[in-house]
Order: sequence, then C-alpha cells, then structure tokens
Amino acid sequence: MSGRSMNDRCLHKLIQERDMLDMMVRTFTKTATGANLHYVPTKAFVDHHNEIIRRYLTGEPFITSYFCCAPEIYTAMNLPWNTFLTPAFTGAITPTFHDEIDASGKMFRGMDLCTIIRLAAYYVEEDLVPPPTAVVAMIHPCDGINVVHQVMARNEKWSKIPVFAADPPYWEDERSYQYYADELKKMVEFLEKHTGLTMDMKRLRQVIEESNKQIALWQEWNDLRRAVPCPHGGAMGLEMFGEATTVHCGMPEGTAWMQDVVTDAELLVRQGKGPVPKERIRLFWFDVLSLGLTLSLFPWLEQEWGAVVVMEMFGYSPYTQIDTSTEDSIFMGLAVRALHEVPMIRQARGVADLFLRDIERIVKDYKIDCVVYPGYMGHKDGSGSAGLMREKCRELGVPFLYIGMDLFDDRYTTLDQLKDKFSKFFQATGLG
Amino acid sequence: METKAKSKVLETFKEAAETIVNPELKKWIENGGKVMGYFCCYAPEEIITAADMVPMRVRATGSTGTDLSDAYLTSINCSFCRHALNMGLRGDYDFLEAVVWLNNCDHVRRIYDNWKRKVGTPLTHMMSLPKLTTDKQVGWWREELAILKGALERHLGVAITDGKLKQAIRIHNETRRLLRQLYGLRKKNNPPITGADALAVVVSSTAMPRAAFNEMLKELLHELKGAEGIKDSKPRLMLVSSIFDNPKDVMVMEDMGGLVVTDSMCFGTRTFWADVDEKSEDPLEAIARYYLQVKPSCPRIFGGFPQRSKFVQDMIQEFKVDGVIGLRMLFCDLWAGELFMLEKDLQKAGVPVLHMDREYLMGGTIGQVRTRVQAFVESIRR
Repeated sequence: MSGRSMNDRCLHKLIQERDMLDMMVRTFTKTATGANLHYVPTKAFVDHHNEIIRRYLTGEPFITSYFCCAPEIYTAMNLPWNTFLTPAFTGAITPTFHDEIDASGKMFRGMDLCTIIRLAAYYVEEDLVPPPTAVVAMIHPCDGINVVHQVMARNEKWSKIPVFAADPPYWEDERSYQYYADELKKMVEFLEKHTGLTMDMKRLRQVIEESNKQIALWQEWNDLRRAVPCPHGGAMGLEMFGEATTVHCGMPEGTAWMQDVVTDAELLVRQGKGPVPKERIRLFWFDVLSLGLTLSLFPWLEQEWGAVVVMEMFGYSPYTQIDTSTEDSIFMGLAVRALHEVPMIRQARGVADLFLRDIERIVKDYKIDCVVYPGYMGHKDGSGSAGLMREKCRELGVPFLYIGMDLFDDRYTTLDQLKDKFSKFFQATGLG
Repeated sequence: METKAKSKVLETFKEAAETIVNPELKKWIENGGKVMGYFCCYAPEEIITAADMVPMRVRATGSTGTDLSDAYLTSINCSFCRHALNMGLRGDYDFLEAVVWLNNCDHVRRIYDNWKRKVGTPLTHMMSLPKLTTDKQVGWWREELAILKGALERHLGVAITDGKLKQAIRIHNETRRLLRQLYGLRKKNNPPITGADALAVVVSSTAMPRAAFNEMLKELLHELKGAEGIKDSKPRLMLVSSIFDNPKDVMVMEDMGGLVVTDSMCFGTRTFWADVDEKSEDPLEAIARYYLQVKPSCPRIFGGFPQRSKFVQDMIQEFKVDGVIGLRMLFCDLWAGELFMLEKDLQKAGVPVLHMDREYLMGGTIGQVRTRVQAFVESIRR
C-alpha cells in the first residue's frame, strides 16, 4: 500500500516481538521423548506476525480481535487477526517492557488499572500497533477490556476504523446463547462489509469440523494430565489453548501438532515420566499465564518443590463439540463456545459460581493438592470471588493460596517474593 | 460556604444523606412498608415502586471499617464495595426485603455473589444489563425487567399491573423534574444552594418514599426561589464521577473557594436529566428504553463516550462552569478510561480539569483533597 513501509513506527513492536520469538524458536530443544513440541506454536506466531506485517504493507485486510470472538469465523474467511494484548503476554522477552509499563501508568495517572489494558491503550496511543482494516472488540469479561476499546475508538488514527462489538449477556441459558448467536451473525455481516471478504458456509463447516477434532484432542490430552505424574507442565496448556483458539484455530496444522502432543503425553504416561523426576505437589493455577511466569516461576516450582502445574485456567477445556448440521446449529455452537467455554471468559464474565464449579471439578478430576489464585491486579472480579474460592477449597479439603500479583509486571510482586510465598505456603500446609 | 436560606426541609435532607435509615424511611418501615435496595442507577426504580416498596440506593454512609468484608473481597476491590458489603455483613441492611444488582461493574457484581450467600436478605436478584444500546438491547432489557417484575410478584404476592407501573413512572418522573428545577436554580450567577446541599437532596431522593420526597422537594424549591444567592461564587465547578454520595466531601472542596454548580454523577444529573415516556402503551418497554437509550449513560456502556463527553460539555456551557473535577474511585478501570478520554476532550475545549483518585471514605485523605482543590481553584482564578 502506498506510503507504508517497514520503517513505520506502528510496526516496530511487532517486528521486535517477531524477532524475539524467532530467536526462541531456534533455541528449543527436544523433550524427553524426542519431540520438539514448542517449535510449532512458536513458529506459528512468527509466521503470523509476518503475515500481519505483510498485510499491513500491502493493504490486504486483517483485523484486531480475540480468541473469544468466534475465531473459527476468521479462519473460514481467511482473515488473519491480531490482538494488541499479545505484547503484554510476551513482554518478558522484550527489552523495553518495563519502560512501556511505566509510561502506560503515567498516561493513566496511576498503576491500578489492569496492566495489560493500560499497555494496550498505550500501544494504540503511541502508534505502536498497526491499525487494522476493522476491529471486532471484546467488551467482556472485565471492565478493562471495555475501556480499552473505548479509548481506542477515540484515538485519532483509530477512530476511523470500523468497530463491531457483540453484546454479551450475563447468563448461561438458551435465551442468552440464542441472543449471542444472533450477534455473531451480525459480526459476519460486519466483516463482509468492511473487509470485502465473503463467508462461505461450506468452508465454515469444514473449519468447525477441524476445530471439533482439535477440541477432542485437547480433551484427550487433558485426560492424560490426570495421570500421576502429570506428563507435561503448565506451559503446555497455554500452547494447547493457543493452537486451538488462535493462530491455528480450525486448521489441520494445529490438529497435527495437537496429535503430536497427545502422542508424547501418552508415551510419557506409559513410561511414568513427568517434567520432574519426582512429582510431589499437583498444583492448579487458576488464572492467566504469561510467558514470563512459564520461563521463571514454573521451572523453579518444579525444580525446588517438585510442584507441577497440572492444570491452569487457559489449559482447561470444558468444550463441547459443535453440531455442524445447519447454519443455526453452527452459530448456536459458536455462541456457546464464545460465552461459556473459552477460558477466562467462561469464569469471569458471569456469577462467581462459575469459578467455584471449575475449582470443584478440576480439584476432583486432576487430584489437585493445592489451588493457587494469583490475584492478578487486573482481575478485580476474580479477586471479588477470592473469599468464596477459599471457602470452596476448604470444603474440598485442599489448601488455597491467594497471592496478589501482577502477571505481567514482575516488579509488583517480585520473583523472589513469589518464591518466598510459595515456600512458606508449602511448608505451612505440609505439602513441602 | 453555606446555603443562605434557613430551611427545615433542607436540614431533613442533609440528615437523610448522613444516615442509612432516615426518619421518613423509618416511618415507612414502622408502618409495615418494605424497602428494596439497589446498587446502581440503572436499577429500574419504577418497578420497585410499582411493587409498593421504597427503592433505596445502597450506600456505605457511616461505615467505619471493612473487617468483615475483607474475608471475601481483596485490597484491589473498590472501597465502596468493601464498605457496603461490610455493612451488609454487619446487619446494617437487615431492614431490606430485597436487593437488586446488575452486572454494572466488576466490583459491584461480586458484592451480589457474596451478599446472596452471606447476608440474609429475603430476596436477592441479579439482572443482565446490556453494554450496547440498540433496539435489540432494549428488547433484551425489557425481558430482564419482566423477569424482575415476576420475581417481585412471586416474592411479595402482589400483582404489578401496567396501571401501577404507569403510576410509578409518573412519580419518578416528577422526582426527576423537580430535581431539574433545583439544578435550574444553580444556573444563576448567585445560586441559592451550595453543591454540598444539592448533593444531600439528590442522595435523599434515593432513600425516601418518593411521593413524600417530592412534596418535600417542592417545599424546598419554593423556599429557594426567593432566597438570597451565594455571592462571590467563583470559580464555578462541576463534578464528574461514579458513586460520590457524601455532601461533606463537597463541602471540603467548596470551603477552598469554588462553588459546585453541577455534575455528571450517578448521584446527580445522570439519574434525572431525562424522563421515562409516560405516553407509551407498554410501560416496561418505556422503562427499558429510558435506561438504555434516553438517560445519560455511564462508562460501562460501550460506544457511549462521545455522547457522555458532549453531555459534560453541554453542562459546562449551561451552568457556566469554570473548571471540572473528575473523581475516580481507586481500582475502578471504567473511570480510569473515562477520565483519560474526557480530560483530553476538555483540554481541547480549554476547560481546566482536576483528576483526583479517591477512596470511598475520603476522611483519611482530606488534607490532600483540600490542597489539590485549593491549588486548582487558584489556578482557575489566575
């Protein structure tokens, strides 16, 4: 597209992130069974970044959206999507991350607004993300995400970009799903209008059928995680989530990789092996994960305490198969998935009972020794359920740890402080 | 700075704003009347009134701590919620027959989850409020209103007829019209009432039987119409905020030299600047449309910022405002974004803005408030 170049400020961050991920791709080593399981998802992100950069330069359509806005539809329309939240998750590998966090705090006159939201707004205000063809906004499960899209819509450069938001009901019932299915149909009309692409229902059916296979594999893998020792650590859950709901959503490449993960896990279960020689504590991490945590805290938990993250919020897959027999059944299935099944949205958007039900199910199914609610400073709704979570855990007879941390800014609660909290917790509860 | 008119009815309103159960409400309860609490100005007061209950907005007035609620909420939950839940857990709200919540923000919706389990209110009810405002959402919200109406009918054993709803709409519209008249007086060069006292009136409007409140407000308006205005009332200030219900906090600001003449607050104009359509054949639909499409929105309504910004700027013109004080409760993400955007718009329009983060109980930071407001007022005067 005329006037656009690789030197544009809005590409700098994406290029920096791509290069860091690319460097990681080259450092991955094989697992105990000989598989190189981290390679495919990370390489997919590198390729995806390249595609967004290419589309920005050529003017071909791409959108800003999220894993919970029925990404199966984007795959079917061959429409790549980018989210301005990604840099926060991968921030630990970029050298300017702390400066960006501080600058975003200054911009909002305070640091108590969710870090990821602050950063996303900052990136838009500072022209550090490429403006897309259109935006499919997410306006739940938290106040922050609603805010960032309003800030974005007011930004001079972004104000001209068409925005669609599906209105999310608070309930989980037939009426709500039908309401949301209608919203998703409107989303397709919006995308067709603003990207010039068309939706082919046959193609969507194919994508959903592929996605159904991915969901089945994800569940199979989760079933294998019930084994003692657990075959894989928590970071793999994030990658499963990433493949099934983002860059390879509904694509055979993702399915093939997930099959490899299941095969690897099966082999490890047969061999009685896990990520540590002796698994001593089976931990449920009930929140988002960032790359920084999976690279720092989780290895320490494994090595120091034999504590394996057996389940985490984003790795959990209570998905159902979507009935592809009719157009209505497809949209209804996508609505159920988007409202009631995708991680974090599933728990945080509605009443606290959803947090409590998941704790009960997971503790029982995965032989959990302790539940950790990190108390991410951005998740005010989750923290408002912390007392109820503690009571649920007491009822189930498992220790509960509430931390109070920033999942992205490692200065809020430092790694040393986290280690100290965990050590004291394990000692006090007799798990250590 | 004080309201010049010596008014008995104004004293009653001021007393009401300082207590949870004011004398009028107490009388209502003693006569067997029921009270229903609500947590947000999107709660359909008209339906509560039509069910023969007094709708009362839950505040945490008089709270002294959060020792009980701290077991359930955490330090990153807003202090209003921590204090309000604490009062619920202490039994201060045991007089409520019912409480209704909406998913209006991440903090308040969690009070519902804790309250319904831990406080013994006979009926607790949650509503799903849309975040968009098209006709489709009005339809959804109408259904939610009908569900609430059904829940109240079953719980109380009463019939909430269309006739009762229409009557309730008229009563609440009258409250709105009277409050607008009160604010009309504040447009004068020398308003007859301080911002602190005006806030006490608005707070009272959410805590008294409405018909009685309306009669009292008529009396006050009559007294104020001929009353002496507040001289030397420069600069004229506007407050923009979420829940802000303590007149004494406004008094502290006004003591620094400015006069608060208007606001965009949910204990303020956002609740009464427009009316429910009284002519509609379907009162539930009229109520649904009012809350979603007619009344000035709050930041949780997606895409409504341009209208909200215009509302503030129109108020600035109408009330000849010299400066805006934006108040945000700590840990409120919605208002962090709103004030960030509003500040940009107002700066562009050349309107001075003071952004203050606050706790629900401002007592501990009152020195800082004084200093900042004083500096702001002086900067406007220069």
